[in-house]
Amino acid sequence: MSSLTLHRRLIQIWAFVFKNWIIAKRNVFTIFEILFWPVVGFFSVGLLTSFLELDPNKTGFILVGVISMSVIQVCQIDVAYVLLYDLWSKSLKHTFIAPVQSFQLILGSWLIGVIRSFFVFLLLSIFSSLAFGFDLLRPGIGPLILFLLGLFLTAASVGMSVCILVLLFGYMADVAAWSFSGLISLICGIYYPVFILPFPFPQIAQAIPLTYFLAYFRSFYGFNEGFKNVLAWGFGLAGLYVVAEAILFKAVLHRARKTGVLIKLSE
Amino acid sequence: MALAIEAEGIFKTFRSGWWKKREKEALKGVDLRIEEREIFGILGPNGAGKTTLLSILCTLLLPDRGKVQILGMDGLHDEHEIRKRVNIVSGNANFLWSLTVKENLHYYGMLYGLTGRERETKVDTLINLFNLREYQNIPFDELSTGIKQRLSLAKSLINDPEVLFLDEPTVGLDPDVSIRIREEILSIHRQKGITILLTTHNMKEAENLCGRIAFLKEGRIVTIGTSEALKRMVRIGDRLKVEFKGRIQEDELLRADGVINFTISNSLCEIVVDDGERRMGSLIALLSQSGVEIKKVTLGQTDLEDVFIEFAKGEENPDPDRR
Repeated sequence: MSSLTLHRRLIQIWAFVFKNWIIAKRNVFTIFEILFWPVVGFFSVGLLTSFLELDPNKTGFILVGVISMSVIQVCQIDVAYVLLYDLWSKSLKHTFIAPVQSFQLILGSWLIGVIRSFFVFLLLSIFSSLAFGFDLLRPGIGPLILFLLGLFLTAASVGMSVCILVLLFGYMADVAAWSFSGLISLICGIYYPVFILPFPFPQIAQAIPLTYFLAYFRSFYGFNEGFKNVLAWGFGLAGLYVVAEAILFKAVLHRARKTGVLIKLSE
Repeated sequence: MALAIEAEGIFKTFRSGWWKKREKEALKGVDLRIEEREIFGILGPNGAGKTTLLSILCTLLLPDRGKVQILGMDGLHDEHEIRKRVNIVSGNANFLWSLTVKENLHYYGMLYGLTGRERETKVDTLINLFNLREYQNIPFDELSTGIKQRLSLAKSLINDPEVLFLDEPTVGLDPDVSIRIREEILSIHRQKGITILLTTHNMKEAENLCGRIAFLKEGRIVTIGTSEALKRMVRIGDRLKVEFKGRIQEDELLRADGVINFTISNSLCEIVVDDGERRMGSLIALLSQSGVEIKKVTLGQTDLEDVFIEFAKGEENPDPDRR
């Protein structure tokens, strides 16, 4: 591949960063998405831990969960937005008549999601330190980067699921953009260890990478949920889901070309 | 001349419903050959399959059966390469609502991989070409319908396409805006020499813009030809109304060149001829020579609307003997 071709492909990826960024910066709800809801959620749970007089490690356990949920929610919604914006503006066919590959679409929107959710993470880290004396840097920079990477990959996977549903079910699927991450967080134990969940949820939780990333990061605060090789399982599963969903996305796009969904959703 | 678009035996059926399956046959074996640099129109009533056909040709939709070649490439498998060299304009233009005119053009420029400087130049050229300068910083959802459509045309040229698909480009526009959009389409064609495939149910649009026109009805192409050839084909002819005094020799009139049919009531004779302008002189001379006093002659020419109505009525297989 020549350097010009590579440059053009990178520009195509950047197009989705550009689109999501411009729309987000002009949308008042974006402020709610990255400031209001994460901060409100964080403080309401944080203050509850103060009221219950939990020890610092348990407080940390819960705050790690709250922060993770906000990071995933903000990052995955950007991946989902890449199709939802086109769906709501009825311009889906203009995106798909351009010579872009599905991985460029996902990668570009994921990048802006990573940027926005990293901002949320920084903000909540500062608040957790100032308001509850919780130090997110205690595990060290390396584990923190691995933990965040795990969250971002999980978010990519959730966002891709929403995109797949949009191409399958159109407008009916946009509710998934807000409900999927909440459901996954519930199963993966954002406020509690997964073993307290009733059957079969602990078993389902073991198939979700977020479970392992939470277990990994919480292990630095003295919690051991009994999982082994958590990073290998977490990244293995996250990688598997991203690849599987990328293939599924292509297949669903092909189906959309057969059924006429791309045209119908642009009318 | 080389073919820009070639379609052979295109069939498409849409299926819907989860529990009770419903089927709608949209295309039933469409063949089409469009030469490079041609403006080709697909005319037909609502639900004829125009948008379905155009969507297949521009790679957004896959047919159930049939072959498609766009610029010599396989339309069913080389869609990525084809998309680099084609673009589309739809009626009721829809783009990202909060992006300005300029940002929308930049966004689509990026989708086609245009680098910073070439994108800046291209966007600037298109803004000038379509007189969008004063609207360049206005968000899409605050634009008038006409300006939205001009943006749609501008966007369609962002990648210098060799084939442009126009799907009812003036639908819903005011007549003066429609005229301007048509002028812009002709201007694009003159300047860039690109192949244009246009779907419309607006007869004037097809007649003004298209070199050749295909009539699509119930998923089948009923006929293809220039607007003049189509008018001749249906033989609904031009109407020559003659107010007269005296007695017309009917058998003589029926034998006259170009006369398809005629009716006489009181002092008005209505003659249907193949080409009104060409036949008017000789017919008046014929009537005068037979002693008829001619008071007034008016010529009503056939337009494509008459042809459209004729085909829409059920002229599925025009009889070649009548041509």
